[in-house]
Amino acid sequence: MQWQVLRMEVMMKSRKLLWIVAGTAIILFALLNVFRKGEAETPRAAVAGSVAIDSAKCIASAAFMRANHMQVLYEWRNSSVRTGNRVHIASNGSKFEKSLNTCLGCHSNNRLFCFNCHSYANVKPKCWNCHLSPMETP
Amino acid sequence: MMNEERREFIKKTALGVLVGLGTVSGIVPAFSLEKTVLPLWDEKPVPGKIRWGMLIDTRKCKEGCQQCAAACHHAHNVPDFRNKKDEIKWIWQNPYQKVFPTASQQFVSKEIQDRSFLALCNHCVDSPCTKACPTEATFKRWDGIVAMDYHRCIGCRFCMAACPYGSRSFNWQDPRTAIHDPVTTYPTREQGVVEKCNFCSDRLVKGQQPACTEACPEQALTFGDLNDPRSDIRQLLETNETMQRKPELGTKPSVFYII
Amino acid sequence: MIEKALKGNRSYWIWIAFLISVIGIGLSAYNQQRWFGLTVTGMGRDISWGLYIAQFTFLVGVAASAVMVVLPYYLHHQKEFAKTVIIGEFMAVSATLMSMLFILADMGRPDRLLNIMLYPSPHAMVFWDLLVLSGYLAMNMVSSWAMLGAERKGVPPKAWVKPLIYLSIPWAFSVHTVTAFLYAGMPGRHLWLTAVLPPRFLASAFAAGTALLILVSFILKRTTGFDTGKEARAKLAVLATYAGVANIFFLGTEFFTAFYSNVPTHKESLQYLFFGLEGHYQFVPLMWFSLISGVASIIVLLVPALRKSTPWLVGACSALVLSIWIDKGVGLILGGFVPSPLQEIVEYTPTATEIYVTLGIWAIGILLLTVLLKVVVAVKMEKEQ
Repeated sequence: MQWQVLRMEVMMKSRKLLWIVAGTAIILFALLNVFRKGEAETPRAAVAGSVAIDSAKCIASAAFMRANHMQVLYEWRNSSVRTGNRVHIASNGSKFEKSLNTCLGCHSNNRLFCFNCHSYANVKPKCWNCHLSPMETP
Repeated sequence: MMNEERREFIKKTALGVLVGLGTVSGIVPAFSLEKTVLPLWDEKPVPGKIRWGMLIDTRKCKEGCQQCAAACHHAHNVPDFRNKKDEIKWIWQNPYQKVFPTASQQFVSKEIQDRSFLALCNHCVDSPCTKACPTEATFKRWDGIVAMDYHRCIGCRFCMAACPYGSRSFNWQDPRTAIHDPVTTYPTREQGVVEKCNFCSDRLVKGQQPACTEACPEQALTFGDLNDPRSDIRQLLETNETMQRKPELGTKPSVFYII
Repeated sequence: MIEKALKGNRSYWIWIAFLISVIGIGLSAYNQQRWFGLTVTGMGRDISWGLYIAQFTFLVGVAASAVMVVLPYYLHHQKEFAKTVIIGEFMAVSATLMSMLFILADMGRPDRLLNIMLYPSPHAMVFWDLLVLSGYLAMNMVSSWAMLGAERKGVPPKAWVKPLIYLSIPWAFSVHTVTAFLYAGMPGRHLWLTAVLPPRFLASAFAAGTALLILVSFILKRTTGFDTGKEARAKLAVLATYAGVANIFFLGTEFFTAFYSNVPTHKESLQYLFFGLEGHYQFVPLMWFSLISGVASIIVLLVPALRKSTPWLVGACSALVLSIWIDKGVGLILGGFVPSPLQEIVEYTPTATEIYVTLGIWAIGILLLTVLLKVVVAVKMEKEQ
């Protein structure tokens, strides 16, 4: 059962998984930094085998999202659940549904998209206790 | 404060957005997340304009048919612990005397005694549960739906004590272990929060009917806007004799029954 | 001043060690509950509150012990209570702390406790209850500690202490009233939906709190030799008696309205508790035991000769506390859920985990009380010498 496996792995904080994730994160972070020149050049999902993520399809620049995605998600969560305002209007007028699924529409192709950084930064957001994480999607 | 943050966020947004949701799901076809039909939810909600309601024609409800409950519980990842103590249910069947305990119980016809009656959250106008909630985790939405904000629920179970219809369930344990056929279109819940029927607000934004209404093979359920005199539900309410559950408590349920 | 709690004889330390080990058992049981969820308790979909909320309700009542001595001492200058006042206040402190811990133990997501303050909802009685309880806790702790400190130094207390004590008197009444409002405002729970609930909460609180205070003063006399005085206990016994009488009277009016009016919804819960409903008799023996011991203890307390005899007084006070514990804790909370909104009768038995957590919280409260009273006795004995 997928759920039970995930509960075992993710919720029971299996040490093994943590080490793998943390190790991957550190290696990735190192790789990203080696080839990095300046702030302006944002690293595009450098995971092998995944479809390259074009920031043009995202709601904001990668640099902005990297720093502020938690505030964005918090605002989306409150306004869509509580006031019923489910439409995010970007500065150029494009509309997005305020939903984690909007993000995952692109980012789910990298199964460790959220987990790499979060385990590196040692933050434990609780989103995936209920929402489906990229790891759990088919 | 929120608006300021949002303004700032928009200001900071350097790169615009070129591709909408349709394109996104086209690029990643394997990933079939919910697709929202934009025009249906493009308007900002006006509080009080809509009051969603449901009319259940119990005469059409066939004995042994569980399709509405099955569809609802599947669509919302409702766990099935297979024990009564930890049970979680959003919509279920019960006999007449359990659903209408304060209605007349004497000399009820055998046919009615044998019939099944659906019970679900009544989405009351004056809902005791939202009044009792100390964090506004359960609240009255702009469209009459009594909604749950699972992010905020502290699990004090005051709403369960306050609900006179037994419509609320608590996650006594981790629900993910008991979801046998999960769907990707709706989140699960967490251990320690209360949940209940959401009148399919997740499907309404996509312009769909509630899962139970859609699943009923007999079209026994009618869903619609009680504030719109021309809606199907209002037409049926005007031409039929209907009942609400425990109307004497003054909660003004939005679920009606034709007996 | 707290250092006085660090000096004690052998039996004092054995007692402390015992309490700490009970707390340890409670914590490990709570850890289990946090991990596996509240499914480890006897609660379920139909009886969604159990032992924890029952203990909370009872302990809010015990917190009344303070006002029953503070009011006569400070407002009516009843000098007999001079030594008892601080004991009553510290009992209120630990009872309030325990009741708040029981709320915490009952929550599905205690990590989100602060949401009550982050999203204040004046329409919810829990919000008000948290305010009055934490206010009462702080008020009693601060004022009694300040009074004790002043007494130790032999100086008059600071000017702000008295007004705080005066404020704690109406505040105590609000604590019981708001706690009763938690239950009394819910449509469809007909055992609770009664205007007599707040007065009954006050009466049972004044009876149980005072009776427990008498018992604690006997225990102190026995274990430390510190005597709060026969006169104080005699007066407290009178107060407990009349509060107990009022409590039984309110219960009687409840019975009359339910059974004379014959309205089924009003009647069913009481019938379930005292006579059984549709073949379910789970609480019938317990409720009759509570009723009989309550009435018997009041009869004993009403007779002056018996009231003055220590064994009778101890027996009657213990029976009164036990009676109210059953009636207000077990009966009132669990009875409120039967029959369920869907007219079902579900039985409830607390699990071992639930009982360990409960004992652990009681041990925390008793530990705090022990330490506080140790300081009190040390200061007072020092002064007497």
